[in-house]
Formats: sequence, structure tokens, C-alpha cells
Amino acid sequence: MKNVRVWFEKKDTARYISHLDLNRCMSRAFHKTKLPLWYTQGFHPHIFLTITMPLSLGMSGLRESMDIRLTEEVPYEEIIEKLNGALPLDIHVYKITEPVMRPSEVAFAAYEITYEPENRSAEQAKEEIEELLSREEVLVTKHTKRGPKEFDIRPYFADMKLEIGEDGFLHTQLCLPISVNGGVNPGLLKTAAERYLGLEIYEQILRTGLYNEKMESFR
Amino acid sequence: MDHGIEKLLAKVQKPGRYVGGEQNSVVKDKEKVKTRFAFCFPDTYEIGMSHLGMKILYGLFNQREDIWCERVFAPWLDMEALMRENGLRLYGLESGDPLCDFDFVGFTLQYELSFTNVLNMLELGGVPVRNDQRGEDDPIVVAGGPCTCNPEPLADFIDIFFLGAGEEVDLEVIDLYQKCKAEGKSRKEFLRLASHIEGVYVPSLYQVEYHEDGTIKAVTPLEGAPATIRKRVILDLDKVYYPKSFVVPFLDIVHDRAVAEVFRGCIRGCRFCQAGFIYRPVIEKSVETVSRQCRDLCASTGYNEVSLSSLSTSDYSKINELLDELLTWTKDDMVNVSLPSLRVDGFSTELTDKIKTVRKSGLTFAPEAGTQRLRDVINKNVREDELMKTMDIAFGAGWNRVKLYFMIGLPTETDEDVVGITKLGQAVVDAYYNNSNKPKGQSVNVTVSAAAFVPKPFTPFQWEPQDTMEEFQRKQHLLKSSITTRKLTVNYHAADTSFVEAVFARGDRKLCAAMEEAWKRGFHFDGWDDCFSLEKWMEVFEAVGIDPAFYANRRRSFDEVLPWDHLDYGIKKEFLIEECKKAYGNTTTPNCREKCSACGAACFKGGICVEKRSSVV
Repeated sequence: MKNVRVWFEKKDTARYISHLDLNRCMSRAFHKTKLPLWYTQGFHPHIFLTITMPLSLGMSGLRESMDIRLTEEVPYEEIIEKLNGALPLDIHVYKITEPVMRPSEVAFAAYEITYEPENRSAEQAKEEIEELLSREEVLVTKHTKRGPKEFDIRPYFADMKLEIGEDGFLHTQLCLPISVNGGVNPGLLKTAAERYLGLEIYEQILRTGLYNEKMESFR
Repeated sequence: MDHGIEKLLAKVQKPGRYVGGEQNSVVKDKEKVKTRFAFCFPDTYEIGMSHLGMKILYGLFNQREDIWCERVFAPWLDMEALMRENGLRLYGLESGDPLCDFDFVGFTLQYELSFTNVLNMLELGGVPVRNDQRGEDDPIVVAGGPCTCNPEPLADFIDIFFLGAGEEVDLEVIDLYQKCKAEGKSRKEFLRLASHIEGVYVPSLYQVEYHEDGTIKAVTPLEGAPATIRKRVILDLDKVYYPKSFVVPFLDIVHDRAVAEVFRGCIRGCRFCQAGFIYRPVIEKSVETVSRQCRDLCASTGYNEVSLSSLSTSDYSKINELLDELLTWTKDDMVNVSLPSLRVDGFSTELTDKIKTVRKSGLTFAPEAGTQRLRDVINKNVREDELMKTMDIAFGAGWNRVKLYFMIGLPTETDEDVVGITKLGQAVVDAYYNNSNKPKGQSVNVTVSAAAFVPKPFTPFQWEPQDTMEEFQRKQHLLKSSITTRKLTVNYHAADTSFVEAVFARGDRKLCAAMEEAWKRGFHFDGWDDCFSLEKWMEVFEAVGIDPAFYANRRRSFDEVLPWDHLDYGIKKEFLIEECKKAYGNTTTPNCREKCSACGAACFKGGICVEKRSSVV
């Protein structure tokens, strides 16, 4: 038995695959490849497969990973080739490694975000968002297991640098806490901008990587 | 993907419905194909993607290099509202191009209450809704599926209806279209030529005249169109095209598994069941073909479940042989086999042993009527002792949840028959407690569902009035009040959808006005409680001066010209009249395998009709 970590990109149409659906999609792809995978031993055996910090619906990811268990040694190249042949186009496996860190060690995630303001010019939206983030607190309603909660996003977004790109949209990079117990969703800024500024934005979020407490790349 | 659509996706539920990109979906270069076909399912993605006919035709069309077939589903309410608000057109999932860019826009008509979605989808896709408003540059709008056996309520909107199996006729029509286009022939000329292909019904080439009482006087073919249109049948299911792969959706759809069709048609001839008549004769696939197709599909999709599909799978003549063959590879490949549509008398220990993987979550059977007399009237041919035997097997094997399907409002039904439904449910509860092998320490749960009967064309009950809504409500109340135990749950659905279904099922062309008015008023998703409103439908009927009771609640005489009389499904009208009379005499008819009843389907010269003759001793 050998645990391996499968690294993949998830983008374009695959952004709209939820965690549950991605799980099923991956299981089917593995089932199709007939690779020697370990199945759970219950009444309804299924492929043992864990996705690390699944993306929210609508987000793309550059360095996504999942852990599987092989019952026999298989060359990594062969796994990559077979899996890519069985997966939809917008999910692409590019690397297989032995897991170094545990998923529970993940503490931060890095994002690249594009904001497309719908009812303001980019310049105006930039100004207004910067003004918003200079306030003392910026509250949004977060839906937690114990019901809705008011949450101040300012400490997480205050250092954010907004730039107007050649496409005329706003671009930014962010690093936010994330863990198995929850974290801060980068989409909360859009929620706040709507709530405080009446600003309507179409956002595209790309997660570029996961990190541990020491800001070492998740491996 | 179109950026405008992409922006909307951030605001809707289940955006995965609208993006395409699934495994095995087919993307071609539109410059390199001759004909583009938009296959539209007039309901949600989850329902449409579960439909086998679409999977077959999608594969069949795309197998041809010169055709590109794409999928289109009805956008759910949130998405439709946003599309309208932003002026975006309904598009094919593969290319993102609007319906108006296609050569063909094809609908499958599975149930009457999806008709409003057909009109709505045409409009959303930028296609003129009425067939007389379409010009040379507009797509040809076609439709197939069971409801085309009476397509008259859609006669003003569809250019071509396909009758019967689509595998051959669809391609013949596309070939003709390519030829006409190359020769520069007009749309009208193409339709006229198409009307001579067997299985093609061009409604605009028929003129319907009415008597003063609203019944039909005559249906006259125009411009040399044939007087009757015969449905198409595929005689050899081992040779006909069947897809080696299915598009595998990301979303959880209704039937998310590999499906192999084991036979078409049904030997039974239950008198309420349209499918039992319009799909005659029974034609089986061989064990080898079914097994090979299941295997191919599992290999190309990664599904770990195959379902053997048909109208009544336990009636497949080699069911045990087939299961043995499947078991030779399914176990090693970690694939489960499931059998839907089991009959009460087709459930055996041998069968359950072979499909061990059937989950113990619940069993469903359809006795359809509560008393033996009424089951004889509808020719269900299931006896109470058979049901009890089956229940004993099921309870002994560990099941403790059973669902039983019934209908109320069947012809000749009395209050005794209605109360008989709960009595039968009670007998099943008792059978559980009398079973010594029942699951220990668990209680039984029997659910009885009573649907409102809708008389359908091409059945022996096509002349019958449907019960009025007051009568349905009275019977539902009677049913509910006759329960005496909490182990028994009775479910029924408001009869108002069944009423509208009954109007359109046996409707004529005058109903096109109601369809059009409903569409103009924004009707859609009438099969969903979220949208259906009887009150609004009554306003529509009122507005166009139509009495819906004329269609739903009127008894027709045997000599009346019915709106679908010019369509030939092989079944002779005299046979249906005979069957109707036998129903009134509580007399059953043997199934096709026991004895040929000369229904007329032998005219197709295939399937069980021929096998029987050759096996006569």
C-alpha cells in the first residue's frame, strides 16, 4: 500500500464542479483507468480519495491536490497519462508526489483575483474599495454552522493592492487563512463591496497555492 | 464560454447545468460540418441528461463527420430570468451558439406538461415559435418521442414530427435536407419531400375540418402528402447503432449510471398504458449484445453501475442467462447491476440472489388497482396471491420498506375498488408480521401512491372520460379516511396537473391557440409544482374560448374521428375497441408471449410477432 498525492489544475468549465461532484468525477476517472487503487472495505466499496481543501464553487485552482492509496507500485508517468485520458478537459493532472505534509498543516492560501465592476468605472471602483478598507471595521454576514455571524474582514484585506490591468479590470493578489476548520473566503470582499458601496462586481478567483504556518508551500 | 453567460453563472443555482465540458461531450469545428443539430430536452439538465433516447441520438448523429449534434436543456427559472434580463439567447452546451444558428432544432416530447417549455425554449433561442413564421434562414424544428403519437396540440409550432424509433428516420431526413440545400430547394419543398419518408409527419401539410359540435369531420392531406403516416420500427436491435460512451455529467442527475436497453415494447398490454401499445412489437436484444454494450459503457464512462432498461425488465425472455453473463465480468470490475421496472410476478429468489447489490432501501411494485376485478378490467394480470408471494420473498430477504403504485379514476371504478387499495396495503403490512424471517426488531413501512388516471391515445381507454376533479378529490378523501394503521402511508398528488395533461394528451389542433396563449403569458415548467397553476390554465382556456372538459371529461363514441386517427402505430382501431369492450366485461387478454391477440403490430413483420409464428408447434 502506498499513499500518493496527485496534483492537478481545475479551471474554466471545471470551476463549476462542486466538491461533492469533483469527488465523484475523480472516482469515475480512476475507475476507468483500472489503476490498482485501494477501495474502502464496507458494504458499498468506493475508491479511497481525499481532496485537500476543496475549492469553493466558481473558483479555479492551479495547484490542487488529492490523496489516494495504491495497492501496487505504478510509475507516476503512467498514472498521469491514464488519468488525463479519463478526466474532462478542464481538469489536468500534472504531477504525482509522495505526500510530505499532512493536509491539516495547511494554514494559508494564495489567490489571484480579477474584479470586473458592473456599475462603476474601474478607477472609481478602485477608489471606493480602498476607501472602504481604510475604515475601522468592515462587517459581512458569515454563515457558520451556528447560524449567521457578523465578521470583520478588514484585518485580512487591508493590505490588498488593487491594480488596473490592460484589460481595464481590477487585479489583486491575496493571502488568506484557510484550514480544515474553516478560513476566510476571498469572495467576502465582493460581499462587503455590495453591502457598503452598492458596488456590483463580477469576480474571478484563482487559487495559486496552499501554505503551512511558516508560509512553506504545501507539498 | 461566452463572457456574458459566465457572468450570469455566478448568480445562479447549480451553474454546472449551463457550462458543458463534460467527459465524452463532443466538440467539433463548425466550419467543417454540414449540418448542425440542437437536441433539446424541454426540462432541466438533471432530467434531460438521464434520458436514454437523447444519449442514443447524440452518439448516432455525432458519429457522422458531417453532423454536429449539441445538447440544450430548459434553463431553470433563475437562469431564464437572468438571460432575459441580459438579452442572452438559449445556446447549445457544446458551442455556446444560439438555437437560431442551427440547421435543426429537435425536441423530445416525453410528457404533455413539457409542451410549454418547447415554445419557451424556441423563443429563448431566437427561433420564431410558429412554423408559419419561419423563413428560409430559420432552423427546421423537429420533434420525436412518445407524445408524437398525438402531436396535434403542437401542430402549429413544429415543422416535422418523427413517429416511432428515430435511429433511421432522423438520418434520412438530415440526408434529404443536405441534398435539398445543395440543390437550392426551398424550405417548403424540403418539407413536402420529407413527408414521403416513412415515419415523417409534416403537420402543415394536413388540413383539419370540424363538425359544429367541435369533433373532427375530416383530416385531409395537401400537396400529395400521404393520407396516413406509419411509425418507424427498428427490427434488429443487435445491429442498430448504440452508443459506446455517454456524456458523463458533473452534477448528480436523476439516473447517473450506464444503461443498456434490453428490449423495446412490452408483452403485457395493460389497457391504461400507452407505452404498452405504441412501442409494439416486442423486440429483444441478444444477451451478448447487452453484455458487450454494458461493458463498453462502463469502460468509457467510469460508471460503476449498469441498469437494464425496458418497460418491464423481468419480462426479458433470457433474464437469468443475461444476469449470469453480466456476473462473469461485473464483479471483477466492481460494477453493480440494477433492475428497474420489475413486475410483481417477476420477482424471484433466483433474481435477487443474482443482484445482491440491490440496495435494501426500498422496493417498488405497481399493482395499479386495489381489487382483482379492476385489475382484470385494466388487464394488469397480477393476482393478490402473487403479490403476497413476492412480499414474502422480499421480507424474508431483509426488505422492510415497500412502495405500491396505484391509479384512481380508472374506468368502471367503484368506491369498493378505491378502498381496496388500502386493503391491499394493509394485507402487505400483515404479511410482514406473519413472516417468520422478517428483519428482527424492525417495523414495516408500506407506502401507497395513488395517481390520477389520464386516458391516452392508442390505448383501449382512449374513448374514456377522465374523472372530474371533484370526483378525484372525493376518491382521494375516501382513500385517506380508509387507513387504519400508521404502518401504511397514502400519497396522492393534486389532480389538477392530471387534468391539464388529459386535455393535451387527447387534444386536437384547436388547442394550439391555448398553447400559444400560455407561452405568451410566460408559462414554463408546468410539470413542476413551482410553476403549475390550474387557475392560470383555466384563464388561458377561457381567453381562447376552449372548454377543457370537452377534451378531458367527454366520452367519445367509437365512430368519432380522433385527432390521431391519421397516424398509424400498427395497432388497429378495431383491436382497441375490442379491448375496451373486454374491459367492460372484466375479461383479460393473454400477453403476447402466451397468445397473439392480433393487435395489428404484426404488420411490421418483426420481433415477437414473427418469433411466435415460427415457434408454433
